[in-house]
Amino acid sequence: MTAEKRLVIVGNGMAATRLVEELVARGAVSAGSTSGGWKITVLGDEPHAPYNRILLSAVLEGSHRPEALTLRSEEWYAEHGIDLRLGARVLEVERELKDVMLVDGTIIEYDALVLATGSIPTLPPIRGLVRMDGSLHEAVHAFRSLEDCERLLEAVTATDEDGEPLNRRAVVVGGGLLGLQVARALGARGIDTEVVEGADHLLHQQIGTAAGAILARDMKKLGVAVYTGARAVRLTDTAPRGGTGGIDLAGAVKVLDPLPTNPGRVALRLDNGFTLDTDLVILTAGGRPSTALARRAGLEVRRGMVVDDRLASVSDPDIFGLGDCVEHDGRVTGFVPPAWEQAGVLARVLSDEPAKYDGSRIVARLRATGLDVAVLGDPEHEVRGGGDVVEMSNPVRGSHRKLVVRDGRIVAGALVGDLNRIGLITQHYDRQTVLGPTEPGDLLLAEATGRSSLVSQLPDDAEVCNCAGVTAGAIRSCSSFEQARDTTRATTGCGGCASTVRQLLAERSSLTPEGIT
Amino acid sequence: MTADRGIQGERGTRTHCPYCSLQCGMTVQKSGRTALEVLPWAEFPVNEGGLCRKGWTAAELRGHRERLTTPMIKDRANGELRAAGWDEALDLVAGKIQDLQASYGADSVAVFGGGGLTNEKAYQLGKFARVALGSSQIDYNGRWCMSSAASAGNQAFGIDRGLPFPLADVEQADVVVLVGSNMAETMPPAARHLDRLRAQGGKLVVIDPRLTATAERADLFLQPVPGTDLALAQGVLHLLDAAGAVDEQYVATRTTGWDEVRRSVASWWPERVERVTGVMTAELRELVDLLANNAKVMILTARGAEQHSQGTATVLGWINVALALGLPGREHAGYGCLTGQGNGQGGREHGQKADQLPGYRMIDDPAAREHVARVWGVAAESLPGKGRSAYELLDSLGQGGGADGPRALLVFGSNIVVSAPRATHITQRLESLDLLVVCDMVMSETAALADVVLPITQWAEESGTMTNLEGRVILREQAAEPPKGVRSDLDVIAGLAERLGSPIPFSTDVEEIFAELGRASAGGKADYSGITYDRIRDEHGVFWPCPAAPDGAEDHPGTPRMFADSFATPDGRARFLVVEHAGPAEEPDAEFPLHLTTGRVLAQYQSGAQTRRVRSLPDAGPFVEVHPMLANRIGAHDGDPVVVRTRRGEMKAPARVVSTIRPDTVFVPFHWVGANRLTNDALDPSSRMPEFKVCAAEVTA
Repeated sequence: MTAEKRLVIVGNGMAATRLVEELVARGAVSAGSTSGGWKITVLGDEPHAPYNRILLSAVLEGSHRPEALTLRSEEWYAEHGIDLRLGARVLEVERELKDVMLVDGTIIEYDALVLATGSIPTLPPIRGLVRMDGSLHEAVHAFRSLEDCERLLEAVTATDEDGEPLNRRAVVVGGGLLGLQVARALGARGIDTEVVEGADHLLHQQIGTAAGAILARDMKKLGVAVYTGARAVRLTDTAPRGGTGGIDLAGAVKVLDPLPTNPGRVALRLDNGFTLDTDLVILTAGGRPSTALARRAGLEVRRGMVVDDRLASVSDPDIFGLGDCVEHDGRVTGFVPPAWEQAGVLARVLSDEPAKYDGSRIVARLRATGLDVAVLGDPEHEVRGGGDVVEMSNPVRGSHRKLVVRDGRIVAGALVGDLNRIGLITQHYDRQTVLGPTEPGDLLLAEATGRSSLVSQLPDDAEVCNCAGVTAGAIRSCSSFEQARDTTRATTGCGGCASTVRQLLAERSSLTPEGIT
Repeated sequence: MTADRGIQGERGTRTHCPYCSLQCGMTVQKSGRTALEVLPWAEFPVNEGGLCRKGWTAAELRGHRERLTTPMIKDRANGELRAAGWDEALDLVAGKIQDLQASYGADSVAVFGGGGLTNEKAYQLGKFARVALGSSQIDYNGRWCMSSAASAGNQAFGIDRGLPFPLADVEQADVVVLVGSNMAETMPPAARHLDRLRAQGGKLVVIDPRLTATAERADLFLQPVPGTDLALAQGVLHLLDAAGAVDEQYVATRTTGWDEVRRSVASWWPERVERVTGVMTAELRELVDLLANNAKVMILTARGAEQHSQGTATVLGWINVALALGLPGREHAGYGCLTGQGNGQGGREHGQKADQLPGYRMIDDPAAREHVARVWGVAAESLPGKGRSAYELLDSLGQGGGADGPRALLVFGSNIVVSAPRATHITQRLESLDLLVVCDMVMSETAALADVVLPITQWAEESGTMTNLEGRVILREQAAEPPKGVRSDLDVIAGLAERLGSPIPFSTDVEEIFAELGRASAGGKADYSGITYDRIRDEHGVFWPCPAAPDGAEDHPGTPRMFADSFATPDGRARFLVVEHAGPAEEPDAEFPLHLTTGRVLAQYQSGAQTRRVRSLPDAGPFVEVHPMLANRIGAHDGDPVVVRTRRGEMKAPARVVSTIRPDTVFVPFHWVGANRLTNDALDPSSRMPEFKVCAAEVTA
């Protein structure tokens, strides 16, 4: 009988939750002190039961109820004998003693430790963003946690004593996937929204210039202004309401203001000289792996905490890493599906089953109403690696679709403005199906409708009623629908041929003089 | 005597089609000295006189030159079958059974039944196995039909009746969602109800990997990757919750388990569903909008959703959707299963299932054993326990090759060689038996392997009740005398029981058997005790449960609609059950890069033993549906042969290049030997349903 082993999981996000679910599913959780399996403690610094973080922008948009986000209830953890501690922040990992200490001084010992600490939002270098006391300016919002989302929702829906919205304008800093989702969500809420992106086009990590241009145009159509190739450099408070309408920084070009009577409460200056009046600034300029704990514990950290194929730290075989905070094979991901794949592998590793993580295929989809973007893998990287590009651009329609193909397989792709066949393309990509030479191109073409509806071209021996086995000729030899029905039984089974029968009869009578049949 | 009954003998016999679960009403009339003619029966509400070509031509099998009219016994030395008398054949079978049971125990003899058998036959067969043979080893091909929906219905509602409402209710719904049903081809006259639904402004949604004749009528068609219907259901439920479309009051008062189910679907956001199912988020949202904005929604599953190693979970996933919307019990709304075989419903209620006794009683329930044993006139202790499920039973047959199971098998109403999954392996198991007895009307592929073949009556030559997909008990009336030399399955059962020294006699009088079946089912979930042949004739069938009325009281009216006030669970509430999508047992890989799915065509039925012999039905043989993109990839041309290969076997058939199928999927109809040599025998953990609907395959030109 194996003694009970203690597993401590730091983090309570989507990766950690999936790990716990996988361990429960394979019966690897201890049911008592002598039953073997892991005695699990989960330490989450957020005060909430785990929730689906990637749907926060849908909650912001209003298309998703926050209640539908919860992944597991606190009772679920209790039922499975798992010690879930919410609002528990870990101060230190003591590898020599094999324990962790919480900020309140509690010490928890482990036999195995999992760091699933996720990522933290990057703070762009904007003067005035952070106050002297280290807190963010009150107009500034991060967008990472449920609390961030709730705080932003409050700001978006807040009204003054007259019932007028307190905040009418927002600038989203960062034109990546999250930035566009947030911008779209704010737009849908009626907030006048602008996006600032430092690179020369939107989604620059995922798509090329042409596709980025189409996306920017789509955003404008949806009422969101986009500034690319521009960095926000300075945030300032404007004069109180009823004043002269914003401070005029020396030499600054004032952007033509769509809401001149409502200048906004802050002004965000860009490095191209523009100044954007706004009420809210939302930071979505990406995140970086949260590695402070790992670093302080002396584990090897590059961009993320470095793990091997078993997801163990390369510095300590008893410490594992999972999700956004880890670096595997030189890569950090930042998406849920790879984190879940890692959780599946780690659950097997912790159950002493052979398992190896060898990377994930990533499909990034923009979750925003009216914006169609899908990115498979890393197109730019695969193109540099010698992949063949099959591309279809239709700026008139506003679509740009690109597949990168190597040895007949789709190794990457970027689709903007037209997601026709995305489901099939993704299947081929995920399964690495070997396609025929014309197939990648065919996938990007419009779907053929397939059937000819020209009933007059049906030969006499073509069967039109499958239920009764009646041919077009037999129908043509009938004088009326009723006669066709009664003598041939066509249309009396499933009824699917009724319109064809009517058409056949109509076409025939147009060729046959009345009364001569 | 009613008007309907008066017609009998005069102008024709009111009866029902020999094939699918729709059990269309038809009139059968003598034509000439021996032939029969099929005519409409316009008043029967399910099909209103309409039939498909299988029904119209059903009488052609009578007098067919391939019809068996004498028992046949095989000489194992040369493999030749010779004609024999009934007594000789039954004596031989009974003698061998006794020898085997004396040496190897009661369970060395097994029985395999069918979902096409009448209620009376299914009932007698279960009783025969448990009492005359004393064997626990009985199951039937209904496991391969709707067993996953049955299992899910029992878990969620506490009862399993395919449709909890008459089929015609479909017309009154706002939205009907068909998950894996090709109704227009598999039960064409049922499609009239869909057409009326649409004519009245209702919407039809079809979910199928193929754009079928049914899907062509749909207002919304979703074409998921085979084996991902559950992921789709999870995504639908999540979006409904996210949109606030859940009927909270219904959930609170009529169900349990919602909280945990709600959380379990929170990880199924639309883009994840899209990646798994191949269904675009926009289409998913369109479906969710339809469900959220209409009160009368019907969700109906069929084999496409059910014949999977996750079939039960898939149905539960859709039932969760139905419960969240508050549908079951609401008028012209709810969840239902479109049963497949002629008596798929009744066949699973009367005891030919390994774990059941009549009245949908469970064989391991002491009270159920006591009740049924009393009706049968035997001791409850004498009844064996649970046996193996259909596939497991066949997989265990004979000796060698890892098997150590029953040494004899009696087959009634099934053509296993064509219809079993991983058919090559199962055929080997049949060949390893000491004794194979097959009752059939023609020399089916399975009969051809048998040691003893017993020629039996068909449909119009005997009477008996069936229970259609609505839970409506209907009556097939004898319309003609059977050919000389042919006997009913009931005679076979009775003849063998007598020779085996059964402690109780086995009747061959159908009405008498039905009355006994009623008593055995009394108090059970599928209670038939208030139903009589006369009531069936008078009322166009009677819906179960229909308990017998106490003396002097008025007859129970039967139960056309269920769940209005409560469910058949101990607390009367329906169960939300957490299910997780795991995907097919066999995913495509480099060697087998495609999904293979199987199904039916309009002009054939099941293993084709009957329909392939009806000359008026077109039989061009099997084919392989291939999308033009795939055809280009592998160099296949329409009409030219292609080879389909899986880990279990291969077959060759002409390609049919159509843009109606997913490009990553091929389809083969299963009415001919071949398709099921390819299919996977991975089983659903609770229904024991094999995964007919998806496996990994390779296709070459």
